[in-house]
Amino acid sequence: MRIDPSRGLRAPLAVAAIGLALWPSVFSSAYDLRLFTLAGVYVLLVLGYQFIFGHVGALSLTQGAFFGLGAYASAILAVRGGWSFSETFVLSIAIAVALAALIAIPVLGLESHYFALATLGIAQVLLLVCREWAPLTGGVNGISGVPGIVLFGRAVPGGSPSLILVWSLVVIGAAVAWRIQRGLYGLAFHVVRSAPAAAGTIGLDSGRMRLAAFLLSAAYAGAAGALFVRVNGIVSPDVLEFPVMVTCLAMTVIGGATRVAGAFAGAFLLVYLPEWFRPLDKYYLIAYGAGLLVMIVAAPDGLLGAAARLRQRLMPETDVAPEPERLPRPEVPVTAPLIFRDVVKSFGGVKALQGVSFEVRRGEIVGLIGPNGSGKTTLINIATGLETCDGGAVLYGNQVLTGRAPFAIARLGIARTFQNICLAGELSALDNVAVARSLDPGVDIETARAQAMHLLETLGAANFAMSQVRALPHGVQRRIELARALAVQPQFVLLDEPAAGLSEREQADLAGQIKTLRTRGLAVLLIEHNMPFLAGLADRLICLHEGRVIGQGSPDEVRRNPRVIAAYLGEPPRVPA
Amino acid sequence: MLQVLANGLALAAAYALVALGFVLVANAANAVNFAQGDLVMAGGFVAVALSRLWPVPGIVLLPAVLAVMAVLGLALSAIAYFPLRGRPATAIFVSTIAVGLMLENGANAIFGAEPQAGPPLLPGAAIALGPVSLSRQSIAVIVTAAVLILALEFLFARLRFGWRLRATAQDREMAASIGIDVTWMIAFSFALGAALGGAAGLLLANSFFVTPTDGINYMLKAYIAVVIGGWGSIRGAVAGALLIALFEVVYPSLPLLVPALPVSWLFTETTATIILYGVVLAVLLLRPRGLFGEAVLRRA
Amino acid sequence: MRAVIFCAALAALGMATPLAAAEVSIPVLVPITGFLSLEGTSQRNGAMLAIRNAPAGLNVRADVADTGTAPDVAVNALERALGRDAPTAIVASMLGTQVLAMLPIALEHKVPLLTVSGTASVTEKGNPYVFRFFPGDAITKVAHVRYAAEILKAKRLALIAQTTEYGQSGRAAIEAIAAKLGLEIVYEESVDVQLRDLSPVLGKVRAAKPDVLLLHLHAGPTALAIRQAAAMNLDIPIVAGSALHQPTTAALLEPAELRGVCAETNASPVSGGSPEMERFLQQYREQFKSEPDGYALGQYDGVMMALQAAAQGAATPAALTAALSSGTYRGLAMTYKSDGKGNMAHSAIIVCYDGRSRVPTVAKRYDDIDGVLAR
Repeated sequence: MRIDPSRGLRAPLAVAAIGLALWPSVFSSAYDLRLFTLAGVYVLLVLGYQFIFGHVGALSLTQGAFFGLGAYASAILAVRGGWSFSETFVLSIAIAVALAALIAIPVLGLESHYFALATLGIAQVLLLVCREWAPLTGGVNGISGVPGIVLFGRAVPGGSPSLILVWSLVVIGAAVAWRIQRGLYGLAFHVVRSAPAAAGTIGLDSGRMRLAAFLLSAAYAGAAGALFVRVNGIVSPDVLEFPVMVTCLAMTVIGGATRVAGAFAGAFLLVYLPEWFRPLDKYYLIAYGAGLLVMIVAAPDGLLGAAARLRQRLMPETDVAPEPERLPRPEVPVTAPLIFRDVVKSFGGVKALQGVSFEVRRGEIVGLIGPNGSGKTTLINIATGLETCDGGAVLYGNQVLTGRAPFAIARLGIARTFQNICLAGELSALDNVAVARSLDPGVDIETARAQAMHLLETLGAANFAMSQVRALPHGVQRRIELARALAVQPQFVLLDEPAAGLSEREQADLAGQIKTLRTRGLAVLLIEHNMPFLAGLADRLICLHEGRVIGQGSPDEVRRNPRVIAAYLGEPPRVPA
Repeated sequence: MLQVLANGLALAAAYALVALGFVLVANAANAVNFAQGDLVMAGGFVAVALSRLWPVPGIVLLPAVLAVMAVLGLALSAIAYFPLRGRPATAIFVSTIAVGLMLENGANAIFGAEPQAGPPLLPGAAIALGPVSLSRQSIAVIVTAAVLILALEFLFARLRFGWRLRATAQDREMAASIGIDVTWMIAFSFALGAALGGAAGLLLANSFFVTPTDGINYMLKAYIAVVIGGWGSIRGAVAGALLIALFEVVYPSLPLLVPALPVSWLFTETTATIILYGVVLAVLLLRPRGLFGEAVLRRA
Repeated sequence: MRAVIFCAALAALGMATPLAAAEVSIPVLVPITGFLSLEGTSQRNGAMLAIRNAPAGLNVRADVADTGTAPDVAVNALERALGRDAPTAIVASMLGTQVLAMLPIALEHKVPLLTVSGTASVTEKGNPYVFRFFPGDAITKVAHVRYAAEILKAKRLALIAQTTEYGQSGRAAIEAIAAKLGLEIVYEESVDVQLRDLSPVLGKVRAAKPDVLLLHLHAGPTALAIRQAAAMNLDIPIVAGSALHQPTTAALLEPAELRGVCAETNASPVSGGSPEMERFLQQYREQFKSEPDGYALGQYDGVMMALQAAAQGAATPAALTAALSSGTYRGLAMTYKSDGKGNMAHSAIIVCYDGRSRVPTVAKRYDDIDGVLAR
């Protein structure tokens, strides 16, 4: 597959860009120039929205509000305060970002349906305030007579000069957006969006990324609003109403929520279509809703996504896998063990863990066994920061891990895999692993990919590097998850049922790879039900039952432990001699 | 005072139906149906259209409205939910927003943009109760809504079909594993949700008229009611709706009841709305589980 | 002999005037979609009917374009019309924010805008190219309050206004006029357009014991207020704003609910009253299959005034602007003349409903309220 599906569109996009640049020379009446300028304003708005909606995948409904806020800020400062264009432009962006920062902290952590409502509520409040606070905002009639743009003391009249100014800003905004989503940061957004549970465990600070995306989207919206009001000369409360938000959403979805070119496509389409379909009037609006629906169902990555897929289908090309590159030697490892001390956890009334204590030392492979519901996965979740514990602690050296965010724990050298595979399905195997290299600050995307290649090779998955993960068989996906876990260069690897669903051959391979880790000095804690697999592999077994450790020791000792036998309903585990 | 309370209760009854319809779908499909408000509006217009064909009291039209809206709900699930199973939640938000747009603009194209009056539930003027005359419509709305809610209770508590719906809402995988046809249960939940919303539309269309742009307003009310009441809780949805309606009606009347309060801008409808949103935001931040809901997981 | 010379002179005159018909283009840019589509459609219908009845010797082109609800869409429509045609005049949307957005462009291109907007500020921007054929608050609210005072003998007034610009400008006018006439406003409140349940407000009105309740609301809220007032047996005479006179608003209410309710407006074509009005009514019903309201009639009069001026030679934008600024025109609703700022309408009427039908009768005319016509 193509690592970068848009690469196939380079030629058509280049042609489109040239066409776009020539358009205003061909269609140059005042009306056409105005439409083109307006389209540019919307491109900026959509580029911003792509950060929070496309990349992070959060349905924020404040984008229209930030747009309106930027417009009002510019209008009020220009008309009532006499401020210049450059001053109001910068301030509009600043005010929008300030509001975003204010609401981000409480709101960004909410689940999707709460987040949507909270942002919608904030947008509605802003609308009401603008309608009511007439002395400041001009009430329902808004503020008219907003002067055009004046730069460096010279007026920039409507028509071509305004167009050029607006579009220069659009090009800058698009370039910035493109840079951001190209590199490792862009791949990281994929993980935050598609495999959020895994994001923290590979060192990605999803909270900070979401905040950055939200602030960026507000900044772009504020800029767009500031330009909008200059182009129209008037601001009124309908710029803050829900239909504007829906337009932004529709442009983003229809164009393609994660592609910069998609912002252009969506904005142009939805600015020009209503003008072209004027004769249809009310029926156009129904078609607009139907179009949005068809898009989200049939082409969720928008027109650009569909175009990329079409191109790939018509003229398939595959990227060549990069040359592998060894990872740099990690720093002198801490030799302390990972200590679980009296860990207690309840879910509602259910006591999942009731004081679990044990250690995992470097250079060991420890198996964690126990009947279903004994708390094994919970223990790993607590160790990697995905759950908090109600009592006790997990320690690593002199660091207390419990209470830290997952990304902080990952950066300390603890990595994990998941019971239900948690990979970003739409990315290639290579990119899934490469993202995990981003926690090393010196690494750029090419290096990360090369290093990921090396990791995949060591795990025997090199042939699958360029394939999309969601198309790969289960066993291969497990290997890729393991490679990703190794990419953070951990000292401790916590594996949650890594052998589940693997064939005998694959299990033997996996066992071999885990032993290699031990040889390299890593420690492995592995949850498994598969006794034959564990028997030849683990140095020690720890058996959990109903949240308590009921036996630990060598595999032989543990399988003879009567309490362990009883926990497994009287059946001694079948272990080959 | 009694009239104010009666109006508040009537409004609460209608909002409760809307919120119930919303929470049923939220539970069964784990999806936010952004078109719920527009379904209320559609129900109102269906009532208007039917009453033009048969000029009978609204209560007679109620079964027809319920039936039409149920079909509309099934259609909604077919085009906006089922094709998007397995996709992230935002996809269903967007698809239901799109359907809402189509409903709104369809109503606009067919009926025009101006408000229309729906048929009264019962013909006849106000009922006198001592010195106060209560509008017959308010009482009829309260009674009708109460009957519908009780019918829903009965469905869930006593009828097998209702048990299956509840099981699907609680745990889809488990329900599937014991042989319940989850797909149909979800579709019926949509149908039920739309029918309840449409009934609310009929109830509201006479006293408050129906306009194609009403959708977002009802949607917000339903959303707020469910958040305050507790996401996923049926009792919570009704409680939340009650609180919203009473607040909307009683708060601006406070100066009437407490003469000491100044009749100032503080007690206007607009201020009431702003305060309502403030309360919602506070609930979201401080006690996201609302009144009756389960604990809410925050992101890692 | 004199007759022959007279006829020859006439014939010579006839040959001297241009044989070709004057070309006039009047794009109609009004809201056909969105919440103002009813009023916008009235504007369009009134304009098209006027064009159909255009005086002989005129060739009128009228392209209709939708301005939706947002100001920038209106500006798009205007730029498009200016680019395609060479319009002589423009029928402009009555939505205040849209007119305000169009004003600078009309000024730049020197093309007159003919509108029926009720928003006060459109004629207060010093723009000589806007002509409003609908009486502003300064006119209608005088009729509104004077009717309450003189005919209904009210001393104590209650007022419910909309929080919108329309509502607030009307409210300010009512307060000023009431003060001048020595009336006391014992209760007033402004409500949001979205508000459905007005009973709390009506309860407060009742508690204040006014003689008359004045409403200055948009169509839906007006009907709601009247319905809810009837439901709670408010028993206070109501005089509503012009929104009530629209047949679609009255259609929302039962005739019984309208008993004793009056409304101010510029004109109520459905009430008939003169042969010309009846003819207008008949033509409108035939062509558009609906009932005309005051906006349709106001727009009709406005476009007719422009067409008459064009027929008499003012067929360029500049000439037409001059003609509209200085001329007097006797239209169907009233006589129009500019007050120097573009306000053309200076009369208003009060219509009342008898409780038996939804068609009101004209109860009182107030002509030339601000004395402009007499100048």
